[in-house]
Amino acid sequence: MDPSALNSAEMQRLLNQEKEKAMVNEMLAKLTSECWDKCISSAPGSKFSSSESACLSNCAQRYMDMSLIIMKRFQSMH
Amino acid sequence: MDSFSSPSIGSSSSNISSSDLMDQLKTQLAQAYAEEFLETVRGKCFEKCITKPSSSLGGSESSCISRCVDRYIEATGIISRALFNAPH
Repeated sequence: MDPSALNSAEMQRLLNQEKEKAMVNEMLAKLTSECWDKCISSAPGSKFSSSESACLSNCAQRYMDMSLIIMKRFQSMH
Repeated sequence: MDSFSSPSIGSSSSNISSSDLMDQLKTQLAQAYAEEFLETVRGKCFEKCITKPSSSLGGSESSCISRCVDRYIEATGIISRALFNAPH
């Protein structure tokens, strides 16, 4: 491969795709970690209680709601 | 050679194709994520299951660790579905 192929539009597209996947992966990992801490208080059992799984699901969705509020607030400051 | 180093791209003797490069990138990313995931699970399960370290790993500690790994993987799935299946 000619090193200048790294700058090709196709290569940039592929790299951006991987970058996006990486960002999504990072968010999933971080959110799982934080929601685990918030929702799983006792030692893990052989399955989640319904309140634990509801908490985990709610946690992710509330985080997204919060992200939206933060973004809007930040944008309104300009 | 550690998992992040790769053949030098600019060397005149390099015959790597761009698809090989992308494959290498994806493989290394996957490896990095697996490592990160394992490290997270270690931390969480140590916290939940080994509350008072003793001179050996007890049976209840071992089974707690097994359950913990399963639950954490399950939690990842729950979070993933909540993020990607719930339009707002």
